[in-house]
Amino acid sequence: MMIELYQIIAIFLGLVAITLSILRFRDGKMSLGMLIAWFLIWLIVIFISIFPNSTNYLASMTGIGRGLDFALILGLLLSFYLIFKMYNKIENIEEELTDLVRELALQRRNMGMEEDDKVKNKSENEKFADD
Amino acid sequence: MKIFVVVPAYNEEKTIAKVMEDLFEMGYEIIVVDDGSSDDTYNIVSRIIKEKKHGLLCRHLLNRGLGAALRTGIEAALIKDPDVIVTFDADGQHDPQDILSVSRPIINGDSDVVIGERNFKQMPSSKKFGNEVMNFITMIFYGIKVKDSQSGLRAFNRKAAETIIINARDYGVSSEIIGEVKRHNLKLVEIPIKTIYTDYSMTKGTNTSEGLKILAKLIMNILK
Repeated sequence: MMIELYQIIAIFLGLVAITLSILRFRDGKMSLGMLIAWFLIWLIVIFISIFPNSTNYLASMTGIGRGLDFALILGLLLSFYLIFKMYNKIENIEEELTDLVRELALQRRNMGMEEDDKVKNKSENEKFADD
Repeated sequence: MKIFVVVPAYNEEKTIAKVMEDLFEMGYEIIVVDDGSSDDTYNIVSRIIKEKKHGLLCRHLLNRGLGAALRTGIEAALIKDPDVIVTFDADGQHDPQDILSVSRPIINGDSDVVIGERNFKQMPSSKKFGNEVMNFITMIFYGIKVKDSQSGLRAFNRKAAETIIINARDYGVSSEIIGEVKRHNLKLVEIPIKTIYTDYSMTKGTNTSEGLKILAKLIMNILK
């Protein structure tokens, strides 16, 4: 069996990615679920690189002509899905950030309404004094 | 009648002082929302408010866009128990006299929301195209045809200000407000207003590239 350059690159990339994932997990920057998901994804990449012919089986099963095509299409779909998830996540974070910024902007102290409060409290105190 | 004027400002240090002076002169309550400006806007506004002992200043610690600033301003105004809430651009393109024109249908109870309609015939062609595209987009996405969907001068009565929910953070907010008006069956009228075009205000607002950005965003919202 001839070893092609792409196989070496893919295996190397996969190993680097798995190492990075583990390091990020150890630092608490990645959840266990995401670690497992990435682990599986990169293991599949490595597996396919070592046994490229294994994809032929899946390709014929799904009706896609060649094994390599199957791997490419799968990769594309997965990438799109991840981009979509990321977009939604960023959008949520933006929204939360805006809510937070607004909440801070609307605090009475930050709006210069403290003076109002002081006047109000004063007049209330005077009322109590009258009683 | 308590009329509150909400002025969203992002890096408007050159014009905000004049705009505020004019509004104070006419005796309106002012709420300036500084949308995380990186220039001196915040200091200028807070100095003026301290001097006049009048007006409110909300500060966004980070820049969150026109829509976010408008919502903050409207929520701040609602705390103060207003009869009319007017939104007014900080770049000096509006005539303060027009505040009364857009408030009148609300004071008379003829309308819930009023949009100050700029004269498209006087509009520079670079802006006209963007605005016409936005009117068209507003019609397609929200199913309501207005003469000027992107105008910054609007008036709301209390009920409208409480029911309209602004989610758009950027310039798409103008179209969203119109969509909300339709969704809640609020009454909308358009009143012609004056627009003061200066070299400065020309560089801001809805130009062609901003229009395309809003379009992309609207399509994204549908796909979500």
